[in-house]
Amino acid sequence: MIFSLHSRQFDQTARAYGADLYRYAYWLCRDRFVAEDLVQETFARAWKNWARLEDLAAVKPWLIAILRNEHARLYERKRLDYTDDDPQELDLPSAVQAGAHLELEQLVETLPETYREPLVLQVLGGYECKEIAGMLGTTEGAVMTRLTRARQALRAHLETGDRARRSI
Amino acid sequence: MNCLEFRRDKLADPRRLPPEALAHLDDCAACRGFAAEVDENEARLAAALDVPVPEGLAERIILRRKTGTPIFAKASPRLGMLAASVVLTFAFGILQWQDAGSQDYARLAIEHVMHEPESFTSARSTDPELFRRVMHTFGGEMQASLGKVRYMKLCPVPEGTGWHIVFETEDGKLATLILIPAKRMKTDSEQAQVGGWNAVARPGGQGFYAVIADSPDALAKADELVRQRVRWRG
Repeated sequence: MIFSLHSRQFDQTARAYGADLYRYAYWLCRDRFVAEDLVQETFARAWKNWARLEDLAAVKPWLIAILRNEHARLYERKRLDYTDDDPQELDLPSAVQAGAHLELEQLVETLPETYREPLVLQVLGGYECKEIAGMLGTTEGAVMTRLTRARQALRAHLETGDRARRSI
Repeated sequence: MNCLEFRRDKLADPRRLPPEALAHLDDCAACRGFAAEVDENEARLAAALDVPVPEGLAERIILRRKTGTPIFAKASPRLGMLAASVVLTFAFGILQWQDAGSQDYARLAIEHVMHEPESFTSARSTDPELFRRVMHTFGGEMQASLGKVRYMKLCPVPEGTGWHIVFETEDGKLATLILIPAKRMKTDSEQAQVGGWNAVARPGGQGFYAVIADSPDALAKADELVRQRVRWRG
């Protein structure tokens, strides 16, 4: 009876959040095959521990936490190396160098992971800074700073790209 | 709230502004303009992050629960346990572009295509005018159309950013053109065959270009098409 309930909950969760988890995984590792691997491992681990899930409403953040751990394990890292670099010093490729056609997707890929991850969680997941801070194990203020800097950096490069495009 | 505080809040979470920020927005035209621009960028960002999800992913997850065995899409190479090393190999491959020896340019172009199979199944940046501009910027002047552009994507390479382009020729065949900014090739051309793919790399524009197709015959035709219809500067 309980197994049947859990199976149904799990299947509904896979259908509801599989795609979101995949996109999040993709932006963590930037490889579509590794991303699917991460999602499959995440759900496999979640299923093993399904009985311990107390609040089904919190399943998505729980899955995100598992996925982050799987990703860290994949690269044998204990934690992310958070940085508070100034956005002007972010090592983004030059729009001019890319022939003035640098795509936004490419810019996001070049953001340091510490900026990219909260940005993806907020834009795709719709999470508030406080929720993201909880998932990443940091403070709300730190998340706000990273999101502000990430968007400033993207904005500056988009403006440069648009200017360069107009000049062709 | 002043303009600086408003802009900080807007950049931190564009979709959720506190009441005092909303009040500031009503009173400040400059910040309304700023907010509109941020919202526009946010929409572009959301579209860029919304990458396609492999078909049947949820079903494979559920099947794994039932069978206990990982199931992967038929077309997906099983990276699994070797995922990290594959990522490193791919990165290494990219690093090899600039110092590639004989036949390596063509071989690496094939490996790049094999790593991005979605280039044949998804439409992306198909504007012919954008393609013409990309070619112009790289140093290639289009004398006539190569066919219908189906896919264009920027790819990181050590000396900048290269372009991965898939086009459909007039006889309905798909061919890939890769533009790589790099030091000049030492030979006039290099050819390779890997995993059923055929490629030729030639110097051109800001570095070299490679044409890739799924048969020697298709490659010969696509290569000839590029040679006839693109005039390379430099």
